[in-house]
Amino acid sequence: MPRWGMVIDLDRCIGCGACVVACQAENNVPINTEDVYHQRRAIAWIRLERYWEGEFPNVKARYIPVPCMQCTNAPCEPVCPVYATYHTTEGINMQVYNRCIGTRYCSINCHWHVRFFNFWEPKWPDSLKNQLNPDVTVRSRGVMEKCNFCVHRIVKAEQKAKVEGRALRTDEVTTACAQACPTNAIVFGDLDDPNSAVSQLLAQAEREHRVYRLLEDLGTEPNVYYLKKVDVEATATAAEAH
Amino acid sequence: MRRRDFLKVAATSATGAVLFAGCGRIGDGVPETEFKIAQPVYTPNDWAFGRDAWFATAAPPDQGGYGLIVRVFEGRAKKVDGNPDFPGVLGKSDARAQALVQELYHPDRLAGPQRAATRGSGQFQPISWDSALQEVAQILRDAGGERAVLITTRPSSSQAAIIAAFQRVTGIRHAILEPDELVVLRSVVRRLFGVSTLPIPDLANASFLLNFGAEFLHGWIAPVQLARAYGEFRQGRPGQRGLYYHVGPRLSATAANADRWFPIVPGTEGLIALAIANVLLTEGAVPRDRFAPYFAALGLDEARLTNDYSPERVATTSGLTAEQIRDLAHALVEHEPAVVIAGTNAAASTNGLFNLVATLGLNLLLDSLNQPGGLLLNPEPPLPELRIMDDAILTQRQWAELFQQIQSGAISTVLVYRANPVYALPPATGAAEALRAAQHVVSFSPFVDETTQLADIVLPDQAWLEQWGLEVPDPGPGFAAVAVRQPVVQPFVDARAFGDVLIQLATQLGQPLPWASQEEATKTLALQLRRLGRGNIQAADDKQFLVTLQAQGGWWDEQSRGSGTVPSSPVVQPREPSFAGDSAQFPYLLVPYPLPSIGYGELAHLPWLQALPEPISTNVWQSWVEVAQRTADELGLSTGDVVRLITPQATVELPVYVNPAGQPGLVAIPFGQGHTALGRYAEGRGVNPLTLVAPENDSDAGTLAWCATRCRIEKTGRRARLARFEGMVPAFQLEEFPIVRVMAPSA
Repeated sequence: MPRWGMVIDLDRCIGCGACVVACQAENNVPINTEDVYHQRRAIAWIRLERYWEGEFPNVKARYIPVPCMQCTNAPCEPVCPVYATYHTTEGINMQVYNRCIGTRYCSINCHWHVRFFNFWEPKWPDSLKNQLNPDVTVRSRGVMEKCNFCVHRIVKAEQKAKVEGRALRTDEVTTACAQACPTNAIVFGDLDDPNSAVSQLLAQAEREHRVYRLLEDLGTEPNVYYLKKVDVEATATAAEAH
Repeated sequence: MRRRDFLKVAATSATGAVLFAGCGRIGDGVPETEFKIAQPVYTPNDWAFGRDAWFATAAPPDQGGYGLIVRVFEGRAKKVDGNPDFPGVLGKSDARAQALVQELYHPDRLAGPQRAATRGSGQFQPISWDSALQEVAQILRDAGGERAVLITTRPSSSQAAIIAAFQRVTGIRHAILEPDELVVLRSVVRRLFGVSTLPIPDLANASFLLNFGAEFLHGWIAPVQLARAYGEFRQGRPGQRGLYYHVGPRLSATAANADRWFPIVPGTEGLIALAIANVLLTEGAVPRDRFAPYFAALGLDEARLTNDYSPERVATTSGLTAEQIRDLAHALVEHEPAVVIAGTNAAASTNGLFNLVATLGLNLLLDSLNQPGGLLLNPEPPLPELRIMDDAILTQRQWAELFQQIQSGAISTVLVYRANPVYALPPATGAAEALRAAQHVVSFSPFVDETTQLADIVLPDQAWLEQWGLEVPDPGPGFAAVAVRQPVVQPFVDARAFGDVLIQLATQLGQPLPWASQEEATKTLALQLRRLGRGNIQAADDKQFLVTLQAQGGWWDEQSRGSGTVPSSPVVQPREPSFAGDSAQFPYLLVPYPLPSIGYGELAHLPWLQALPEPISTNVWQSWVEVAQRTADELGLSTGDVVRLITPQATVELPVYVNPAGQPGLVAIPFGQGHTALGRYAEGRGVNPLTLVAPENDSDAGTLAWCATRCRIEKTGRRARLARFEGMVPAFQLEEFPIVRVMAPSA
């Protein structure tokens, strides 16, 4: 059984946002209008954060894409009073939309702020509804939604493999964000398959001491791994400290 | 559903595996039967899996023209991605490509041909294609070729062939509207390297990249190709990481990725390049014989370079120190192979042509042309018919002349295809006045933009995903490549492909073109590729060739490489930048910049792109003024304060974004907004910076120098809410748990 995970190489990420739009297209995420931004209620299953370091002229802007970390010990799961958020056997932190009653406890308990509440009914002009992905449920007002590693793609690939009487091939399935990412900064795959791209990338990056996870010390065991940004102006001391 | 049917459907629904198929009429087979699969292991989220397919097609010409694939489900396009087989992109795409489906299903797309109730009113009434075509044919018949002009954006390669044939039979003039920075770039590449196609830096094999201002990772000439190569440049070679230095006035979305950013005074890129050449010469870092073509191109000699462009002298004007200039020069020779690129702001100064000649010319000193890790020249298109004529690309000066001809009545009829000169050229050019004065204006735009608002008749073009065509990516991947565009869905509205309309008009004029349709033109030209007897497709007959071409999404020949010449006569003389406006009255330099998402405003109608935060400011859906932290402190400004931005040309009021990376003395403003038309998602947002910039030209190139205007800022005392992503979630670097971790390169 696969254990799905993701590796995001910050030294490759250019902050282009292709992952953000690809995710919106794939997962029927509503259009974030200007009003939605003003309300601070934009929905982005994967978002691009920008951090400042230093002051002009020695200033750096750092990009980091942030999807759901798919924590092994997910703090969002035990707080759901109706078991709408749960863990699959393949390591994905899932949301059952028609079970969710909108308490938002899961959102409060998520340190990465990657769970989103539908404050309004999602709306598209009729013609734009033609683009909606039929494999993904459109979430209604009052429920939480979040990144699920494009689970519909995984299910589809697994069913195809089952019909063909074989095991899922290495790297047979990928997420929309990883597929679009023009620099290959995002790589998705089976962490338990030593031949998968994520496993090999992680093994190499471990040797280079580049691997870390966001807020790792909280002990939630995220399944999204980051590879450190490399900077020629970073001091050796700082590198060791991190 | 019977078990046998279930297995059939399930076996053919493939997401991970890309299913290509010859297109034909893809709407014919739908609707497929949807069915639910109960998966107790997973969630009961009503997954409905039907039969889907991925069709190969091509990105629009102004987005790189590379190969795409589109997921189609029950006759509807769902998702766009890069074509995994297409050279250069290898399955990758960007936000703009993803948003192509929103052009297709846009609620403000014109549903069919229209006639203006009154010209300029923005009100249109539907008419039939037959009457519209008859009317336009009569207009062309009355005007004659010499009194008509066809204004287009950069057309696709097959459209260029149709336009050329249409020109031959009608005598109509063709004018192409491209961003000024690209006009300068094409001119420099032609004059410096002797090629008409744009070169591509071989980043995947380079050790060092020196970039003078080009937004090569966010828009510019080939963002996906270059971004993919950039990933390899950084981390694609174990043990070897490419080094990137960025020289430019602003820490842009692209510059933020650099190892070192060198903030400069806008327009001094060329002078800095000369100072770098000075260091290379005086230190003997590169062989002296390499300087001959560089000197020839710039009308320089060794004595002038040595005496006039020392790092110390250039440091006084450029904003860099002599030591920084030496660092740049040393990096070029210490990290081989190195490559130099330049563009965007560097091309938009009053000395833009000089800037690009001096900076791109450094590649001659490095001997990096057509070398691994250097600047790869691309070959001419494999067929002469697919070549886009450079002389049709007009400069700012030529546009002003053309509009004067229209106003004077020398040109009576204007046909406009997807170009929007009323928005994309500064008001002083006189586009709007000329179109109002023209006897007839016919638009082929799928949307009512500012120019189409002034049209008498609109014959809407099909969306890119609905039509046929061939694209020669410009720049290509370093060898000959052609992407094929095929309709992935049936036309969603009653639009017709622009090429089809030209062919039908020519027939009505009694001078039929060689093809009956844009589809036939595409296939005929494609078969000429087969006659070349080379390339990646081996086919027994024409039919097999076409099927394979459509299935693979293109034709390419890795053996067909570009070659050029080195300059032997002066291209341009060194020149310092100048700025409109008195420095005492207007103390700041205005630096407009194209947005990574909506560019110069041509994509402002697509909501996904409007909602995509600008990477540095994270602002969305509007315009703003970027002010440096130090300037903001001096003026007592904070993010959200509304200021009056005053240039010698105009005054606007905009909210401030205080940019921690802003350079004191500079004020930046994004292009892209300020539309008065183009649909619900574009209209009435922000300002168009072209209304602010003075009509300064690059005197050598004749293009608009949009980075050559001074300005001042006045507080209004009001505040406005900036729609932005920052602050949406409490994200900040923690001392004990850094979010973005950084390390020094391993030894």
